[in-house]
Amino acid sequence: MAAYVSMGEAHRRITEYLNRFSDAVSYQDGKTLSRLVSVSSDAAVLVSLAEALNTFQDANRLFRQSEKYSQYADILLPMFRALQSYRLRNLVESYLAFEKASNAFLQEFRNWESAWALEALYVIAYEIRILAEKADIELASIGKTPEKLKGAGSFLMKVFGVLAGKGPKRVGALYVTCQLFKVYFKLGTVHLCRSVIRSIETARIFDFEEFPVRDKVTYMYYTGRLEVYNENFPAADHKLSYALTHCNAQKEANIRMILKYLIPVKLSIGILPRQLLLDKFDLNEYSDVVLALKRGDLRLLRHALQEHEDRFLRAGVYLVLEKLELQVYQRLVKKIYIMQKQKDPNKAHQIKLDVIVKALKWLEIDMDLDEVECIMSILIYRNLMKGYFAHKSKVVVLSKQDPFPKLNGKPVNS
Amino acid sequence: MMNQGESSDASTAVEKHQINDTHQVQSSYFPPNCAVASWSTQGENGDLSTSGYNHDQQVDPNLKNGQDGTNLVSNGSTSNPGPANLVQGYSGYAAYPNSDPYGYSSTGYAAYYNHYQQQPGQYQQPPGQYQQQSSQYQQQPSQYQQQPSQYQQQPSQYQQQPSQYQQQPSQYQQQPSQYQPQSNQSYPHHVGAYQNTGAPYQPLSSFQNTGSYAGPASYSSTYYNPGDYQTSGSYTSGNYGTQTNLWHGGQYATYGSHQYPNYTPDSTSAYSSSTAVATSQYQQHYKQWEDYYNQTQTEVSCAPGTENVSVSIASSVNNSVPSGSSGYTASNNQMPAAYTPSWRPEFSSSDLTSVQPVAVSGSAPEGYWKHGASALQNDLPNSVEPHAQKPPEVTPAHESFQNQQTSTFSQGSTALYPASCQFSQIQQSSFQAGLQPSEPLDSRRASKLQIPTNPRIASNLPSSISKSDKDSSMTSTGAKPAYVSVIMQNPNQKVASYEEDDSMLKPGMFPKSLRGYVERALARCKNDRQKTACQAVLKEVITKATADGTLYTKDWDTEPLFPLPTTDAFNKHDTQLPIPTSVMPKSKSPSRRAKSRWEPIPEEKVVDKFANISYGTAKYGGWNSKQFSGGKIENKDHFGTKFSLSDQKGSSKNFTRPAKRQRLGEDLNAGDDGDISSDSDKEQNLTKYYSAAIALADSPEEKKRRENRSKRFDKGHGNQVEKNNLRGKDVGAGKSYARRASAVVLSRTFDESGSRAVEDIDWDALTVKGTCQEIEKRYLRLTSAPDPATVRPEEVLEKALLMVQTSQKNYLYKCDQLKSIRQDLTVQRIRNELTVKVYETHARLAIEVGDLPEYNQCQSQLKTLYGEGITGCHMEFAAYNLLCVMLHSNNNRDLLSAMSRLSANAKKDKAVKHALSVRSAVTSGNYVTFFRLYKTAPNLNTFLMDLYVEKMRYAAVKCMSRSYRPTAPVSYLSQILGFTNALPTSESSDEKEVDGVEECIEWLKAHGACLISDSTGETLLDAKASASSLYMPEPEDAVSHGDASLAVNDFLTRSLA
Repeated sequence: MAAYVSMGEAHRRITEYLNRFSDAVSYQDGKTLSRLVSVSSDAAVLVSLAEALNTFQDANRLFRQSEKYSQYADILLPMFRALQSYRLRNLVESYLAFEKASNAFLQEFRNWESAWALEALYVIAYEIRILAEKADIELASIGKTPEKLKGAGSFLMKVFGVLAGKGPKRVGALYVTCQLFKVYFKLGTVHLCRSVIRSIETARIFDFEEFPVRDKVTYMYYTGRLEVYNENFPAADHKLSYALTHCNAQKEANIRMILKYLIPVKLSIGILPRQLLLDKFDLNEYSDVVLALKRGDLRLLRHALQEHEDRFLRAGVYLVLEKLELQVYQRLVKKIYIMQKQKDPNKAHQIKLDVIVKALKWLEIDMDLDEVECIMSILIYRNLMKGYFAHKSKVVVLSKQDPFPKLNGKPVNS
Repeated sequence: MMNQGESSDASTAVEKHQINDTHQVQSSYFPPNCAVASWSTQGENGDLSTSGYNHDQQVDPNLKNGQDGTNLVSNGSTSNPGPANLVQGYSGYAAYPNSDPYGYSSTGYAAYYNHYQQQPGQYQQPPGQYQQQSSQYQQQPSQYQQQPSQYQQQPSQYQQQPSQYQQQPSQYQQQPSQYQPQSNQSYPHHVGAYQNTGAPYQPLSSFQNTGSYAGPASYSSTYYNPGDYQTSGSYTSGNYGTQTNLWHGGQYATYGSHQYPNYTPDSTSAYSSSTAVATSQYQQHYKQWEDYYNQTQTEVSCAPGTENVSVSIASSVNNSVPSGSSGYTASNNQMPAAYTPSWRPEFSSSDLTSVQPVAVSGSAPEGYWKHGASALQNDLPNSVEPHAQKPPEVTPAHESFQNQQTSTFSQGSTALYPASCQFSQIQQSSFQAGLQPSEPLDSRRASKLQIPTNPRIASNLPSSISKSDKDSSMTSTGAKPAYVSVIMQNPNQKVASYEEDDSMLKPGMFPKSLRGYVERALARCKNDRQKTACQAVLKEVITKATADGTLYTKDWDTEPLFPLPTTDAFNKHDTQLPIPTSVMPKSKSPSRRAKSRWEPIPEEKVVDKFANISYGTAKYGGWNSKQFSGGKIENKDHFGTKFSLSDQKGSSKNFTRPAKRQRLGEDLNAGDDGDISSDSDKEQNLTKYYSAAIALADSPEEKKRRENRSKRFDKGHGNQVEKNNLRGKDVGAGKSYARRASAVVLSRTFDESGSRAVEDIDWDALTVKGTCQEIEKRYLRLTSAPDPATVRPEEVLEKALLMVQTSQKNYLYKCDQLKSIRQDLTVQRIRNELTVKVYETHARLAIEVGDLPEYNQCQSQLKTLYGEGITGCHMEFAAYNLLCVMLHSNNNRDLLSAMSRLSANAKKDKAVKHALSVRSAVTSGNYVTFFRLYKTAPNLNTFLMDLYVEKMRYAAVKCMSRSYRPTAPVSYLSQILGFTNALPTSESSDEKEVDGVEECIEWLKAHGACLISDSTGETLLDAKASASSLYMPEPEDAVSHGDASLAVNDFLTRSLA
């Protein structure tokens, strides 16, 4: 695969890397250092180093030769192995080695007073997650249980422990938290997020605003998603909106990800997006939903839900969207009400069940009186309609004042 | 304070020294009169026995000083340690016997008894004499007073036990013959590890001693005492019992009336015989004593005493007296407990006084000894004379015995001392701990008494069990029973054979190569001492290997031998170590064997833990803990097991225990009988193996591995042990007992398991193949390895499943049966259609009765089973799962993931479709749809929905009362809310409908709805009024712990089912 590298050249490359590494540490050059540990990147340094390592098998010797290098042997030996394995697409091996290297690095990092190496730590936290994901794919493909990501999660937790205290390193805590979120969401163990969140949100010594913006956005995005799961729409709205407003406008992919959750949330509190927005961020799966809400077209809503069921389920917004049904009913009744009003303003506030059943039938939705009665009852109960239902005469009697209150940013009563 | 090394170095010399010294000391000390005087004064003062002892020492300043000095010397300069100890122990003795054997005896006894209060009660419903004496001496008896109740109880025990007793004698007799031979053999060969432990060592020491001791007369006085002393706790009583038997023909009545004089002589005779035989046992006793000191030895002492007794009986007198012995022995057991308490005061009060010196010196045990000795001495005098009278043969035995004791003593004491020296206080604390036992004992007894009556046990324990039962019952009465019972079962086996039995139980745990290794290691030894040292090392090696789990994997054939240990260092160890091993076997009662394969608890760990605990309180040095753990603790365990488990723990322990034993019982017994010889061989080797394993473990890689493993075990075991401790604490005073008991359990389990690490076990090879043909089997949560004899093979399980499916019995019964089926499947690692069927059946049954926890267990199992591609009713259960998640866990994320996992095919399935519709009805709150689906649910979906009906109805009524005006007819509600058929089709449903309406009215009323009647007589829901008055009533069957299925009634039906 790789071009042939002579022994001498290999030796030179490795030594050069070692020099750069030790220089970066001694000059506290976090940026350089982070570049040197970014195993999964395609940086030329690393690619050539990997080639050199293939040729020059006995890297141990180099470490033994010089005191200058040997102090980093704990980090770099496994790092070399990780790099080499990664280049050879032996990902599980690579992950294991990298985890070892990371642990050693974390040990060193603990000893460094200042937070100069935060950047490198970020890279390591990122790399370990990426490697773990890749290793898990490899494991799954050979029929073994993918567990590396879990392992990476516990390593990141360790990192979090190192950063979460007081001091300058605290700034890095949120980054690790976000990496942890990613791991947990991927693993489906979001309940584990809670402890991390608690430690972030209860720490009074450190203002949340002092964290880097990028981390804040990510953090808000994930916690917002958690609130969506909990169907706590106001909170979800707050967090996701925060993420949206602070997100770098250039990062359209990120904005799209935020909108993917923000739109259903906004829909549930009665705020509809413009079609332009949906078009711009390619969120057209929502356009039918929005349209259904506007029209009171139950059939369209159900159709949209069915069409994108997988996507919505995976995103975790299916249940949220499904609840929009009530709003669609509301809209439908409102439409009937408006039409009646146009015909006969005096009787407009009395809507017969038969009419609604007929309307639904027109939408090709077959519901009998009892069901519709139930729906009306629920609409009234949830305060989507003001009025009452007279069972005897099977008539919905609407209030004359504001019979269809708007949600205006408040969630439907439940 | 002292270096172990030093002590060990001295140890070689020590033995001889001790002997010699003791003699000298005795001669010099011999302040007979003084002792007497001290006695009287003391008696007057208050704490008769204990104080008296102390006083004696005090009175004879020289003696004390000498003792103290010796102790100090020993501590400081290793050279004398042994002797010092001996001196102390002996000196005390010497003084006593000389002073006035008889008078003492009586007094001593009285004191003794007082101390032992419990014992007297048990044994004899204590002769007037005793009590009188006690009263004279009196002041001790805080304990005493407490005991009366015990006394009363005991008698009953006695009566119950007679049968056992009678049986025992025969055993005894048999035993002696074997026993002695064994001991003899063991000498030369060292082969019998256990025997060796006892025999090799002691023999050597004893021999040497004998040489030095030579003078029988002096002996009798001095040595005797020691012997007595040891016995004193356990022995004396035991001796008494035996004696009584011998003398009185084992009549109970006579017992009560028996006076001391009789006793003493008897005891002597018993001693003489017993000593010879029991030497090995003595060491054990010794350890026991130590344990005792450290903790509560009462139990321990009992066992030894019993052993001795039995032996003695056999040897000295072929007892014609059947009944008495056991009872007595039992009493002995209890005695110790009492004993300890009495000690305590002394320690605390007299710490500084002569007694304390001992304690201070770090030889708590010694101190005890002395005390014990003093107490015993009283006895001894009496015994001494008899001795003299006794045939020459007897004396030799005594000598050896004594010697052994002394040697053990010194060694043990030295060992202990170093560690213990520093912590006189600690010792005290330990003492106190020991003291506590007395109460526990009482409780034990009580429990014991109960045991026999306990229907379960009785029923559960068949013939084989009888051992355990007897043990327990015996223990209860005599505490000693375990031994006895063992003996009984294996008539051929001797008392000595305890060890054998145990060893037998410990079947070929060790690979042949290991045996070879041990033999090689031992072959290098030039003398016995080296041998013992080697054994110790080997033992260590083996324990380590077992702990590491490398015992079986290591190539022992190529394993390098460890360097020959310096014998000196090992003397201490020897005494302790060998014993442990020998003891260990004992601990295994027949039932145990079966248990353990599955619990790969490394012996070492457990023991250590245990040691730490027990010693931890005492705060012995780490050294002790280890060694002891090996030795003492185990001893404790053995005895403890018998006692603590059966007795202390009382009914609860017995409860479970017996049941388990029962299963194994027969097999094991049979095995025991047949395999004795071979097993004993194995046992012998065991010790060696252990030490070898330990030595091996010292190599660096081993260490590493071991560390890793041990970490793991630390966790597990620590927890376990801790739990046990907690339990023990709960018990209260019986803390130490409980601990011991738990430790025993642990040790047992691991004993059998061969202490392998979990991952080293070849599960395939170990997978149980059931042989049980019973179709019906109660579920019992395994606490140990499954016994193939109680596990049903697949064919039988199939029948069992069918039986359950067609059974008319209630759910609790079926649940129990299914759980046992599941258990059998699991332990045999059967995972196929049958497994799926079983789980499906169980899940369905659970759904039907709304047993969600059980259902969840089944569901999660089914999930993995389906995941493995085993076919079953996948769709049906997917639907259940959906319903369960949505209706009961109310976790959106779970619901989403459950939904997203459904394949397109699955969504077409009727059941799944239904479940999905239910979900959507629930999330939208559409009660009409919900109850329609409720009526049309396929499979068992209805049952799952049942659990949600109440909530749904309530929500619906709430909703309707808010939105309906002015009223809603109840008939409509009852139709909508599923009280009546939503779609009345046939005429016959009219009646039903009425019922449904009635029901609905009831329900509405129960939930606070306002009902009115209109002009036509129709009942209506007053919506407006109801809107504010609705409430959710407390469920009638609510239970504070939240699980109605655990209600007492259910429990009863379950247990009666």
